[in-house]
Amino acid sequence: MTIEEQIRDIVAKITRVDKSIITRESTFKEIKADSLDVVQALVAVEETFGIEIPDEEAQQFKNFGDFVSYVENHVTQTEKV
Amino acid sequence: MSLEGKLALVTGGGRGIGRAIALKLASQGADIIIDFFRRRDTAEQTAKDIEALGVKAEVVRANVGDPAKIDEMFDMIGNKFGRLDILISNAASGVGRPIMDIDVKAWEWTMDINARACLLCAQRAAKLMEGRGGKIVSISSLGSRFALPNYTIVGVSKAALEALTRYLAIELAPQGICVNAVAASAVETEALKFYFKEGLVKDNRQATPAGRMVIPEDVADVVAFLCSEEAFMIRGQTIIVDGGTSVGLFALAGKENNEHG
Repeated sequence: MTIEEQIRDIVAKITRVDKSIITRESTFKEIKADSLDVVQALVAVEETFGIEIPDEEAQQFKNFGDFVSYVENHVTQTEKV
Repeated sequence: MSLEGKLALVTGGGRGIGRAIALKLASQGADIIIDFFRRRDTAEQTAKDIEALGVKAEVVRANVGDPAKIDEMFDMIGNKFGRLDILISNAASGVGRPIMDIDVKAWEWTMDINARACLLCAQRAAKLMEGRGGKIVSISSLGSRFALPNYTIVGVSKAALEALTRYLAIELAPQGICVNAVAASAVETEALKFYFKEGLVKDNRQATPAGRMVIPEDVADVVAFLCSEEAFMIRGQTIIVDGGTSVGLFALAGKENNEHG
């Protein structure tokens, strides 16, 4: 499973939306994620991938794709394998 | 009042009220462990500011809403320091919603961080305070006893926190541990700017007999007193820091109360 698929599963579970509607262009608002959903998704992703996503970085995410790209860029090579 | 040689943990100590408390305790000579969750940058800045006061600072990341993270944090403190003298249960979160929009997820998130965390931290802290006395101060808010719009979950969690403070004060007293709470009205912090923006709180200077908003340092001064030996006979109390706002019903007054500020 790719990083994107794993994050999509996490976000879909937290927001209780069908994961098929979550695209890289989807904004958190479009997938009905409130501020608590976003924090819980950040925490779940951090724990899954063993990384830390600072709030000041997360606030820059315009859509799901930005979130995925950030994680892809910060997960170590070992974890990607 | 001196806290020289004491070790204090301030949950949520990187910013706002927690930062002011951390700096105040440090200014009195205590070494400080700052717990943070979402903002490493502010926690590390606060640690630098603490070290500039000539004491030691340690930064630890733990979401106190997660019992496993609390355990990891206290395991670190136990292994590295083997002791603790002061616990400030300050970290807080909350979901501002009308009652009809509150769901289980928002309730649990808020209660876990604002109320349960104090219990779990106090349990672990009490063991590290064994044979040394100790001080525990929880940070509450006026929402525990007065209803504010969209503040239900936080208010209820703070009421639970204050009740827990009383029980802790009684049960930990035989170990020489003093437990109290400080409850503030709206305090000028980054968090308050959010409440202003959302229209949940307005500037309350005109309803404050003391003539200005409460600032984080006002809360920190009272916390520091409760951590001193001078406060030894104060147990299980919630000290209100609000410039007198809650004493009167100024919302009903025909003219502005504050005419001196």
